[in-house]
Amino acid sequence: MNDLSNRPDVDPPYDYPDYGSTRHRAPRQQLVKLPAGALDVPGPLVPRGFVRDGDNDLTLHGKSAPLGEKMVLAGRLLDDSGRPIRDSLVEIWQANSSGRYDHPGDTHDAPLDPNFKGIGRTFTDDDGWYRFVTIRPGAYPWGNHAFAWRPQHIHFSLLGNAPVQRLITQMYFPGDPLLDFDPVYQSVADESARRRMISMLQLDTGIEGVALGYRFDIVLAGARATPLGI
Amino acid sequence: MERTPSQTVGPFFHEALRWRDGHRVAFAEPGEDVVLVGRMFDGVGAPVGDALVETWQQSPTGNTPASGKGGNPHGFARVETNKDGTFRIETRMPGGSAPHLDVTIVARGLLKPLRTRVYLAPELAVRADPAMKPIADSPRLATLVARTEGGVYHWEVRLQGDGETVFFAA
Repeated sequence: MNDLSNRPDVDPPYDYPDYGSTRHRAPRQQLVKLPAGALDVPGPLVPRGFVRDGDNDLTLHGKSAPLGEKMVLAGRLLDDSGRPIRDSLVEIWQANSSGRYDHPGDTHDAPLDPNFKGIGRTFTDDDGWYRFVTIRPGAYPWGNHAFAWRPQHIHFSLLGNAPVQRLITQMYFPGDPLLDFDPVYQSVADESARRRMISMLQLDTGIEGVALGYRFDIVLAGARATPLGI
Repeated sequence: MERTPSQTVGPFFHEALRWRDGHRVAFAEPGEDVVLVGRMFDGVGAPVGDALVETWQQSPTGNTPASGKGGNPHGFARVETNKDGTFRIETRMPGGSAPHLDVTIVARGLLKPLRTRVYLAPELAVRADPAMKPIADSPRLATLVARTEGGVYHWEVRLQGDGETVFFAA
């Protein structure tokens, strides 16, 4: 039985001055703690038909292969007791190999790749495994402060089995020198917690002669509620 | 095992997280159709035009919605805020004596989600909801109550400062 109130706070604070956009968006009032169980309900349950074959291969969106270093990204979705989270939706998005998002709001002067949208989705299997095929995203500058560059990263959205498990995070790459200067990554105070956002190079996860392999496991909060559909 | 930390959704999530008819909540059961129009502001009163709002609720008969056969999950809405900070959700009145939608907000500038709730019920019923006991006597509870006008429920979300919405600890 998990006591949600004793959950170690690995998350960043709302108010983090080094990340300028938090300034007018971080709440100032104390968060209200509701009685036990008030928010710990199961759901939602996403129908399997939500994801189509090929949605987990981001290199298939165009007429030919996208530019960049092809990679397989695989890992397990677990709860904090180490149990696999099954049949759960995983959504990812990322910049192309030049560090440009296919998004109208991205004004970075780097080329779009007509063969790369940078969007993928899949379900975890019975052991909590997910797998994507993509290309390694580029780093890119942003306006947070002078000479600010985001380290290479892939955005992850996880629904888990319950709203208390909902997680949006970013996956980073091992050895990226920009991590030391990135306020989003550094907003997580605990160093070992920060490192859990860095994937591991795992060659045999890749495709021989075709793609590098990276392993990234994701651990969500525990939920007391029994998942729907079980 | 130790959890993976949260990071901001950033400004470039739209197409990746956009669901067809994400604003139109599906249910297996019939019920009273309701429309919720929200508007979100930051701490200097500027509209928040790049947030993602998700809602989860009971079915019209007060049950936890199960999966549908296809399409979107039942009972769940996912909608982007417009440039003027508005968002619109078409759903059915949840069951229970104090019907409500549990709300999760993510956006650029939020390093972790904000969790709140919007009640489609009179304030007296909300104050009597056992889940709201910690703030039953607080004037801030009113920030969780939508007002009805012309058959539409209106709800303002203020992330920071005057009239700041009540947000919940995870």
